[in-house]
Amino acid sequence: MRDRSLAYVLLVPAFLIVLATTLYPLAYSLVTAFREWDLTKQRRPGEFVGVDNFVHAFSEPGFQNSIWITTIFVITSVILTLLIAMSLALLLRREGRLHTFTRIILILPFAMSPALIGVSYRFMFNPEFGVIAKGLGAVFPSLEGVPWLASPDLAMAILVLTDVWHWAPYMTFMCLGGLASVPRETEEAARIDGASSWRVFFGVVLPQMKGVLLVIAVLKTIFALKMFDQVVTLTGGGPGTSTETLAFFIFNVGFKWYDMGYASALAWILTAIMMLISIWYVRMLLSERKMATA
Amino acid sequence: MAEVQLVDVEKRYGDFLAVTRQNLTIKDGEFLVLLGPSGCGKTTTMRMIAGLEEITAGNLLFAGERVNDKAPKDRDIAMVFQNYGLYPHMTVADNIGYPLKLRGVDRKTRTARVQETAEKVELGALLKRRPSELSGGQRQRVALARAIVRTPKIFLMDEPLSNLDAKLRVTMRAELKHLHHELGVTTVYVTHDQMEAMTLAHRVAVMREGRIVQLDTPKNIYSEPADLFVASFIGSPPMNLIDGRISGGRFEAPGVSLPVEATDRDKVVMGIRPEDLELTDPASAPISGRVYALELTGDSTLVTLREQGSSICARGPADFEAAINTSCGLAPKPGARTHLFDKDSGQRIDA
Repeated sequence: MRDRSLAYVLLVPAFLIVLATTLYPLAYSLVTAFREWDLTKQRRPGEFVGVDNFVHAFSEPGFQNSIWITTIFVITSVILTLLIAMSLALLLRREGRLHTFTRIILILPFAMSPALIGVSYRFMFNPEFGVIAKGLGAVFPSLEGVPWLASPDLAMAILVLTDVWHWAPYMTFMCLGGLASVPRETEEAARIDGASSWRVFFGVVLPQMKGVLLVIAVLKTIFALKMFDQVVTLTGGGPGTSTETLAFFIFNVGFKWYDMGYASALAWILTAIMMLISIWYVRMLLSERKMATA
Repeated sequence: MAEVQLVDVEKRYGDFLAVTRQNLTIKDGEFLVLLGPSGCGKTTTMRMIAGLEEITAGNLLFAGERVNDKAPKDRDIAMVFQNYGLYPHMTVADNIGYPLKLRGVDRKTRTARVQETAEKVELGALLKRRPSELSGGQRQRVALARAIVRTPKIFLMDEPLSNLDAKLRVTMRAELKHLHHELGVTTVYVTHDQMEAMTLAHRVAVMREGRIVQLDTPKNIYSEPADLFVASFIGSPPMNLIDGRISGGRFEAPGVSLPVEATDRDKVVMGIRPEDLELTDPASAPISGRVYALELTGDSTLVTLREQGSSICARGPADFEAAINTSCGLAPKPGARTHLFDKDSGQRIDA
């Protein structure tokens, strides 16, 4: 029994740290979400305003815009990441020195800081001296002088590109893991049963990777929903508000406009969206597992 | 249905020669077993026939037509894998029906064929289940059903029974044999289990280190092994192999002296099967030694004698009893076969 209480005592410091750094701010932001708090006027959260902050969100164009931007960003980035990761995994699946080497260097994009990725891409797409902008201009003269980051659609596309570039390699590893767990014999059986390579992949391999692909899709969705770093360092949310993701919008409300009550409410909306996705994901995963083991 | 011919077929992985210039003709409707220890190239040989492994050199012919460059799906074959290779995301019915679906057979015909095939292998009640809900024996039946749902030219079976428990293996073996009799399709069967080979095959190809060492009927392989390897591989318990020499028309070894019809020579191995030996009075026995172990197998007792480090096993009557370390004698039964091999080359010496 003494061992047990000692164990709890030893857990206390860790628990206190988590309490101070996570649970307390979380609870505080929930309290703030229901109050008016203008940082330029008050040092502490002010008057209780009920659900006003939440109601305000759904009638405000800035929030609606950021939801729309985030939705587009999440969908394109998740789909592209999945497609590229799966394709790369299929290419890298075979054994060989080149394959191993490629697999090793593939980790590099993932090892880079997202904020730095944003900075590098801003340089590379600079119409005056950017290596990509200039390079594209040299190969396709019609692309010379395109104001890449000054066009709303192109800026969005580049933002998606940086995110896919960052994440696809890591997801490739997950796909490789998934592929490795598909028994070779099922593929061979399909080939003998009369399936074309196409059918082998779509009819036999892909269905067996459903679990892994689901995990990738949900993880990537959650990461994409939080998209912030590259927005700050690459586009600054612009041009205009064309790349203002929800996380970036919340940051602006809180730390540019100092409307902490509203920012807290928005943060909780984002949290709610992520929670819903997580719950749906766990449900799917559990039912998948039930199917596999039943 | 088709005759399968391997002409000088070879398989290399880099510098490693996995299968060496294989020449083999599998007759139309024949049940041929490739038998050998692991790593002998039997599975590689089968996978080349299936098209899952490229052929490095030589020709593979189905009914006279060269199929080296044909994809597995175009070879009109069916294969049963050691780990079954069932599609885990499909029901039993969909698994069995998949080869038909891939060949564009309409749903109605498919359902009927699947039902009919499932009945044949006693799976009728399990069609809606998934492979993960089945026992090993049932999974094996699904794999079998998937292979026979359409009538291919050739059946390939890669150790299909090795993942089953001993009792089930015997049952399934009989089912396989019956099925082959019913369908009459040319079958190539890979196994390392000599019992499976003996019971199932029309002909057995015993393989070792990428070569066929002996290709013959089970009966001939048992009664006339071509070399020491085959002699030691076939039969359970294995054939006794005794090092010795021939002098004056007798085979001489420690504790052994038997008349043989062969010219004098040194470095000879005599082979004699345990079932060809009987127990006799130690005083006048041609083979003598001390009892080392007695093993009752039910219908008989395996008696192992030891003399100067070498042991000899004989199959005696079930009620035989003797104390360990007492003297005991053995003699070949009347009409029993003894086999002589050259110790260095391992080849059979014909009298």
